[in-house]
Amino acid sequence: MTMEFAGFPYLSTILLSCVVGLLVILFIPRERESLVKWVSLVFSGIALALSIYIFCLYDRAHGGLQFVEKLLWVEPLGINYFNGVDGFNLPLILLTGIVHFTGVLTMWELRGRVKEFFAFAFVLVLGVFGFFMSMDLFFLFVWYDVSLFPMYPLIAIWGTTRKEYGALKLFLYLLAGSALVLPGIVYIAVASGLHTFDIVALMQPGALTPGQQKFAFLLFYLGFGILAGVWPFHTWSPVGHVAAPTSVSMIHAGVLMKVGAFGILRVGIFLCPLGWEYWAPVMAILATIGIIYGVFVGLTQTDLKYVVAYSSVSHMGIVGLGLSTVTAEGLNGAVFQMFAHGIMTALLFSSLGYIYDKTHTKLIPDLGGMSKVMPVASGYFIVAALAGMGVPGFASFWAEVTVFISAFRVYPALGVLAICALVLSALYMLRVVQRAFYGQRNERYAHLPDVSFSLGLPRMILAATMVLFGLFPRLMLDLIQTAVIPFMGGLPR
Amino acid sequence: MKWLILGPEIYFLVVAVVFLTLSMTRHNGRRDFSAALFLAGLGVALTLATVRLEGSLVYGAYRVDLFSQVFKGLLSMGFFLIVSLCSNLNGIREERHSEFYLLLTTCTLGMMLLVSSQELLTMYVSLELTSYSLYALVPMRSGAGQQMEAGIKYFLIGIATSALMLFGMASLFAATQTTLISELSLKLPGLLNTPMASIGLLLTLCGFFFKLALFPFHVWAPSVYQGAANQATAFVATTTKVIAMAMLARLVSMSDGNTSLAHVLIALAIISMTYGNLVALVQKDFKRLLAYSAIAHAGYALIGILSMNPTGYAAAVFYAVAYLAMTFTCFLVVVKVASDGRDIAIIQLAGLHHRSPLLAMALLGAVFSLGGIPPTIGFTGKFLVFTAAMQRGYFLLVLIAMINVVVSLYYYIQVVKAAFLLKPEEELPPINLSAPTTILAALMIVVIVAGGIFPRYLFQLAGAAVQALP
Repeated sequence: MTMEFAGFPYLSTILLSCVVGLLVILFIPRERESLVKWVSLVFSGIALALSIYIFCLYDRAHGGLQFVEKLLWVEPLGINYFNGVDGFNLPLILLTGIVHFTGVLTMWELRGRVKEFFAFAFVLVLGVFGFFMSMDLFFLFVWYDVSLFPMYPLIAIWGTTRKEYGALKLFLYLLAGSALVLPGIVYIAVASGLHTFDIVALMQPGALTPGQQKFAFLLFYLGFGILAGVWPFHTWSPVGHVAAPTSVSMIHAGVLMKVGAFGILRVGIFLCPLGWEYWAPVMAILATIGIIYGVFVGLTQTDLKYVVAYSSVSHMGIVGLGLSTVTAEGLNGAVFQMFAHGIMTALLFSSLGYIYDKTHTKLIPDLGGMSKVMPVASGYFIVAALAGMGVPGFASFWAEVTVFISAFRVYPALGVLAICALVLSALYMLRVVQRAFYGQRNERYAHLPDVSFSLGLPRMILAATMVLFGLFPRLMLDLIQTAVIPFMGGLPR
Repeated sequence: MKWLILGPEIYFLVVAVVFLTLSMTRHNGRRDFSAALFLAGLGVALTLATVRLEGSLVYGAYRVDLFSQVFKGLLSMGFFLIVSLCSNLNGIREERHSEFYLLLTTCTLGMMLLVSSQELLTMYVSLELTSYSLYALVPMRSGAGQQMEAGIKYFLIGIATSALMLFGMASLFAATQTTLISELSLKLPGLLNTPMASIGLLLTLCGFFFKLALFPFHVWAPSVYQGAANQATAFVATTTKVIAMAMLARLVSMSDGNTSLAHVLIALAIISMTYGNLVALVQKDFKRLLAYSAIAHAGYALIGILSMNPTGYAAAVFYAVAYLAMTFTCFLVVVKVASDGRDIAIIQLAGLHHRSPLLAMALLGAVFSLGGIPPTIGFTGKFLVFTAAMQRGYFLLVLIAMINVVVSLYYYIQVVKAAFLLKPEEELPPINLSAPTTILAALMIVVIVAGGIFPRYLFQLAGAAVQALP
């Protein structure tokens, strides 16, 4: 068995913290609810601490794949347990750590089947972490499905609006996506003649002919695109977001949709660059339609969660637009937007979750004047809404600007359309803020308590992250750049 | 000393004689069960001890090699697992219990002879020993009518396919003038473009298509699954499928990669999985659902065999092991939930996570494994099978199979939903599992998950076993 470990296996330790957390929870009696929550917090905290540590320790001057762990798994088939981080997946690993940790805090007041909830959440996050750090196609797919199947029980048991329908629709849509991805993965491994699932080995130029790349890219784009919420395959996402309980919405919109976008990047774009260039105009058109569509449908919604869900469709369109430019800036902006949107949506869902827990409604006409009732809780939502509009000072501003500049250069017409749509998105976010948080106070909710410091903690962490990377965007952009530049330089032109 | 390699077969013959004797004494269900469990456990140990033996008997008509011994090991384990479910054999009247074990033993013996057969007539005789035991096992359930319908359906379709198979064997003999597999595999590849040889081979395969419940020989499966006693169904659903996969691999490997045969098998695989999955969508009874899912899985397993390359045969062997583990786990749940031996509808699984969290987890693992969700042994099985098909360039076949997998998830998720989400109409008591059952259920979860995460050794074993194929 060949092994290759560059020092302490930090990445496997992150995965292990999820597995151990899961096992510990399974052995806690189901009545000890607060113990379950503390155990979840501790183990998600370990994962977060490790991901921050890796984020800081990553050698930016050197770049490339670091913290590599490689272990031969199934020799006859060329399957390796192969993890590593580069500038592309590091932001997303950090994102996952933050969102899971704050998600546990957000669900601190959960009642009923607590043990199972946190156990399934650990499985979900385990899959997401594994997906982001894996450099082997077989494991990538395994982690991908591991992250999908807990969504069904999580939504169907603890969800709200039309939960069983939402859960089933989401589950079948996402697994339909994997039905395209798996043949694609096996096709690449076999067609290349290398008989390996190692992404680094498959990346070498000439492994696949242009025709094979065009074909395989389409499979990956459609398969992962369903999870990334690419229009017209997005319809599962608003229904699923709305049905899911708060922290699942956070992980789902914040992290899981990025799994789809990152899949397009890591598998589609990395392994089939020629297919990427070939299909880029189609990607750009679908992404722009997604941006505009999300904005317009968002304008007409009365359910707050639907508004946020459609804004996700729109913002994931920006990621898609960035990927479709086939430029270094576009890729850079797209990855940054994945991170920024993840934090921002998590904050939106998290702050909404508190308001919904107290008022038991998320209909905009029923709320009104919430900023007078619970000023702090409303404040978090308004901050996130401003970030969603792309106001300077937040991370999403830089991400969107980078994407739009490169999109404008490559596809001027689509770029202008997308920018116009984004101006409109400011309108619908402000409309929500005005109707739900300002204006006439609804007396029914006047007695409700505002969010306490400890319950507000997850929102504080998320808002602080938004602002940190908004004020110092180079912390992130430079990191992503270390991966983008060598990758774009190595493309066959 | 040469006969020592027949150890497992001789042992199971002795066990059969023991139960024959017991059936003539006063009836005592507990005694029969303890005896069966002990003898089955000893059988597993004995069979595993002979895994490394090799040799050939009766002028090459009977061969013991790694391929046959791996499957004998699986059979003895399957036999042991099914016997371990018989602690509450309530579907069958107590005076018939020793006959029940007798028939299980003769059937297992027949299947053991089958995997070692290297000659068409030996194969046929062994298959009939298996089949006739099953014809008697199916209608053994006490109750009104239903089991008789199942028994008659099984019998009629069974003897019809036997006739087809004999006709196929006769054609093969006419085309090649031999009944020995070793000679057939030399002569057949050159002759497969003649109608007599190709139709002969295809008809010979029919006998095993019937056991595998592959379309169009599937019609018995829903009735038999529902009509037979739960333990008997579990036996039919696990061990006979495993053996059918082994024999199909052995027979198909004689054709040496013939494409027209592959095309026929592709058509059968696609129809079988699509038909099985679509009909399963509307099933209400859990055992019937498993029957249609078995028809679909027959299609998946056939993909590995029709790839006709070493990866494909190894994948098929892996799939057989996976299928044994996950189907058995489903039946473990069926037997424990329906402790009085009745049939259960899917909605009667409601509240299972309250009544027995362990059984609910085992069901979750087994059902997700059947649905091919990683990290379970079922996913790895499918992955290997698809890789083999892709190596032959059957991209469209893999895509259709994956679409089928997604369709099948709809009904598997209904089972999960029933066990984890639905509330039972009336409050049902918790299911108390005995210590051995608890260990068994936990062990099955471990096997299903570990087989998915660490497929390496099992795959290597499968790869070594299929080297014995021609």
